[in-house]
Amino acid sequence: MLSRVSSRLVPFLNRYGTRNLHVFPSVRAEDTANSVVSKLSKDQLKKREIRRLAQRKAAARRPASDHPLYMPVMKALRFLRAAEVGQPLSQQTLSLTAMVISERGAPLLNGNLVLPKALKDVKVAVFTNDEQQARMAREKFNCHLVGGSELVEEIKQGKIALDFDKSFATPDIAIALASQLGRILGPKGLLPAAKKGTVSEDLEALLSDSMGSLPFRQRGNNVSIAVGKCSFTDKQVLENIVAAQKGIKLALANQKTKKPSLLGQTTLTSTHGPGIVIDFA
Amino acid sequence: MSRVSRQLKFFNKISSTTLEPQVVLNGQKYSGLNLTFQYQNHNGHMGARKFWREYLPTLQFYNPQLQFQVTRVRNDNKNDASVPCTLEIIGQEGVAVDQLDMRNKQGSQIMKELLAKIEHTRVAEPDIVRL
Repeated sequence: MLSRVSSRLVPFLNRYGTRNLHVFPSVRAEDTANSVVSKLSKDQLKKREIRRLAQRKAAARRPASDHPLYMPVMKALRFLRAAEVGQPLSQQTLSLTAMVISERGAPLLNGNLVLPKALKDVKVAVFTNDEQQARMAREKFNCHLVGGSELVEEIKQGKIALDFDKSFATPDIAIALASQLGRILGPKGLLPAAKKGTVSEDLEALLSDSMGSLPFRQRGNNVSIAVGKCSFTDKQVLENIVAAQKGIKLALANQKTKKPSLLGQTTLTSTHGPGIVIDFA
Repeated sequence: MSRVSRQLKFFNKISSTTLEPQVVLNGQKYSGLNLTFQYQNHNGHMGARKFWREYLPTLQFYNPQLQFQVTRVRNDNKNDASVPCTLEIIGQEGVAVDQLDMRNKQGSQIMKELLAKIEHTRVAEPDIVRL
């Protein structure tokens, strides 16, 4: 029987090489991986969660300089620039990740911050039929796209590329926008809507608030913010880090929780580089 | 502690355990290096890639004011040997003052030849960063 099987397999092996044989064991391994469930009971899981929270809190109270990977920011930047050497400029982003330690069920930390040296220009589109508002947007804020119904028509026909990051509108055009461009702008999150706070009679206040501001939000237990490029000078990066610190502190103060959240270990890292613990608190 | 020790090893590789490129290049004479080679290893481009990966980070670490630029070209055709594999030494005026062919050479050999061509001083022992 066995010899018969192997004799049948021989031409198959010759044709496809031996690699195909591994298909069977790997499928079986996947099956077992999916069927593994935690053996801990609900009670034990709860205890583990409380224990881990306490551990994270204790770790956050220790000064950052105790960590073996701690470095002053200047030295960290020197290492990151060295690790990033020769990579394409667009891929040399420095980012900062701070651990947030909050009680269970606390709302996620989020907010806006303005960096002194922005990584890229935010392109803004303004939709309005009001000539006065349009002129203001063009002259005072130098918006990327400004227009009324004719702009809506051109975007609908695909004449203008959708290369803006934010968009605002006045109420007189908002309904037409939603019906005509909802399918185009909606999925990209660019459709102005009163619910999002991007539709207003007075665009000036709205624009001056949001020009150059960068939204950030907590994902998992961390907040991550891009603070610079390797080509920035040390001073520019430091100023950006200080601005990020202020923004996160403000968001922490405004968070609606019973007990205030803490900031834990903060790392500075680059796209291809290592993570380095810095002093952030 | 394995994660931390691995990271420390990575830092030390940049700053202290890679010995050959622990040099300070003459900043008054040079403004940087330009490397050009393929993404693919064929036609002798592997040594250039290894040189970039192994030696350039240390060189950048001890020469923070210099610009090191790497241009990689995609070339899937193994018979096409026209892609240059060169290292250019850029002078203060932004023009190449010297050139080194990196084709069919190992990374360590490229480092040796570069040091022979370029004005440099070794980093003093107390200035070497050890973690």
